[in-house]
Amino acid sequence: MDILKFALRKLLGGIPLIIGVTFISFLLMVYYGPDLTWEKLGKNPTAQDIQEIRHELGYDQSFSKRYALYLKQLVTFDFGNSQVIDKKVSTILKETMPVSLHLIIPGFILGNVIAIALALFAAYHRGSWLDKLIMTGSVIGMSISFLIVIIAFQVFFCSSFGLDMFPVRGWEVYDASGAIIWSQYINYVTVPTLATVFVALGYNTRFYRAVLVEEMTKDHVRTAKAFGHTPTSLLFKSVLKNAMVPITTRVMFSIPLVVVSGSLLIESYFGIPGVGKVTYDAIIAGDQNILKAIVGLTAILFVLVLLLTDILYRVFDPRVELK
Amino acid sequence: MSNNVANEIKQDLTNFSPENFSKGDSLWNKAWYKFKRDAMGKTGATIVFIYLIIAIGVWFSFWGGTWSDTSDDLWVGPSLQHWFGTNVIGQDVLTRVIYSTKVAFEVGFIVAVLSTVLGAVLGALSGYYSGTWIDSLILWMMGVLDSIPFYLFVAAVAFALKGNAFAMHIAMISTFWTGTSRVIRGEVIKLKSQEFVEAARSIGVTENKIIFKHIMPNTSHILLVQSTIAFVAAIKSEVILSFLGLGVKDGVSWGLMISESTQDLLAGHFNNFASSSIFLFILVIAFNMFSDAMQDALDPKKVS
Repeated sequence: MDILKFALRKLLGGIPLIIGVTFISFLLMVYYGPDLTWEKLGKNPTAQDIQEIRHELGYDQSFSKRYALYLKQLVTFDFGNSQVIDKKVSTILKETMPVSLHLIIPGFILGNVIAIALALFAAYHRGSWLDKLIMTGSVIGMSISFLIVIIAFQVFFCSSFGLDMFPVRGWEVYDASGAIIWSQYINYVTVPTLATVFVALGYNTRFYRAVLVEEMTKDHVRTAKAFGHTPTSLLFKSVLKNAMVPITTRVMFSIPLVVVSGSLLIESYFGIPGVGKVTYDAIIAGDQNILKAIVGLTAILFVLVLLLTDILYRVFDPRVELK
Repeated sequence: MSNNVANEIKQDLTNFSPENFSKGDSLWNKAWYKFKRDAMGKTGATIVFIYLIIAIGVWFSFWGGTWSDTSDDLWVGPSLQHWFGTNVIGQDVLTRVIYSTKVAFEVGFIVAVLSTVLGAVLGALSGYYSGTWIDSLILWMMGVLDSIPFYLFVAAVAFALKGNAFAMHIAMISTFWTGTSRVIRGEVIKLKSQEFVEAARSIGVTENKIIFKHIMPNTSHILLVQSTIAFVAAIKSEVILSFLGLGVKDGVSWGLMISESTQDLLAGHFNNFASSSIFLFILVIAFNMFSDAMQDALDPKKVS
């Protein structure tokens, strides 16, 4: 019951955030955004044709009315039709969301799990050459642009100049009924996943190591060591469990941005029809209805993540109060 | 062997003796001393300095001015005439890479300075007035800006400014300040309860003066580190944004070179891609090394 009350209050508290995000993006992207009137008109339009199109696109209404309509769309999850493709925005998102999730999830999990493992290892051997090796690797990983990694991996794994083991572009992993064909899935998901993990490892390992090292220098760890606890129990019970709060924060907060920003580059480069590709195409074409939907949904996702993070804190550290 | 160790310890002790810190033993003196002993940091700083000279040279048109000239040598490999080869329309890759260094430094410098200033001012205000409506407003603004997907925000700013050449810079400045601001806010909350602030307040120094003259100078070491982080982030973002068509529009940059090189790759010509990537990579890693060494030197509490 307490949790429910807390969740409700937290969700209400997220409303200013959603208003802020939607207002700024509406102002910049829609109100001052591209005018699609002329692209939708045929040749030699009459004044009435122009009027009709402007009415259809909603340009003839006042700012407050258009913004209120956006908020209503966000509440009802009905964003109308795409302005470029003849499809409902909700249908487009429903089709592309699973693709993006299938694409991201392996890389996201591996990128965090491997990074935590490496960070634990480095923190345990702090100061030794193993630690230095891992940290040098992570600085190198941080310094290579994501774009370069994607291109280089594609050349190396997918083209005849390299190993030529995986398909260059595309995403043909579903059979006629929409179920995943696993062999195809692995074929298409491997190279994007490798690229994501490579880049994520640099940043994540460094961050997790810093958190773990700080925990490791605390008195209770020294005491546990003095009492002769094994390295495993020391690392997992005394260090990792106490460091879970900053770790969860990082993992949780990267979720909303990874879903849109992370997949945008990969999807547009590998030609994978996910949310990122849709977003990229919408940016290029100025399809405001899709962009409105994506920005609004990301903001909602953020509020949910904030709530979930607070509840998770409680799980890892019972001393944290929900208030 | 043991003699060696003893000598080293003796050396260390003399190094750390008071006369080395005679000038008031300040944070900056100690940091400079620590930085001088950091080989990685020095290497990074040297490389960044070399890049800076390249960029300044382009600025004064000593070199790189012929980046858009075409020639009849299409897609030739490295030679004495074209050190890094040429691209599909015969432009010299080395000249283009050198000219792009200036573009990268422009983006990095503008974004780093302005986003740090913005973050410092807003962070100091929200820290000093923590708990009031000013703080809530600034925190709300940071939360909002952090929740808009970056590429979409850049696109939105580009839409609103109708393709202005500085849309990318403005978008980066208005999102990068939040990181600095959060750090400064925490530091100011710590500083404002210290005695020197209380003393200033008790003799009637105005609040503006307390914030900007008494508290802010004590955060300058954080601002220096934050600005190097923003610099690196700006250079890396420029590459991706230019590739997506949201960044540099006129001229040439590493991002645009990588973007055009995807065509070369299909035909098996790697020099365009490799040169721009390697130039970018070396600058970024040098800057990261420099930034790390500065953090180590300036943060007395940091455990590494």
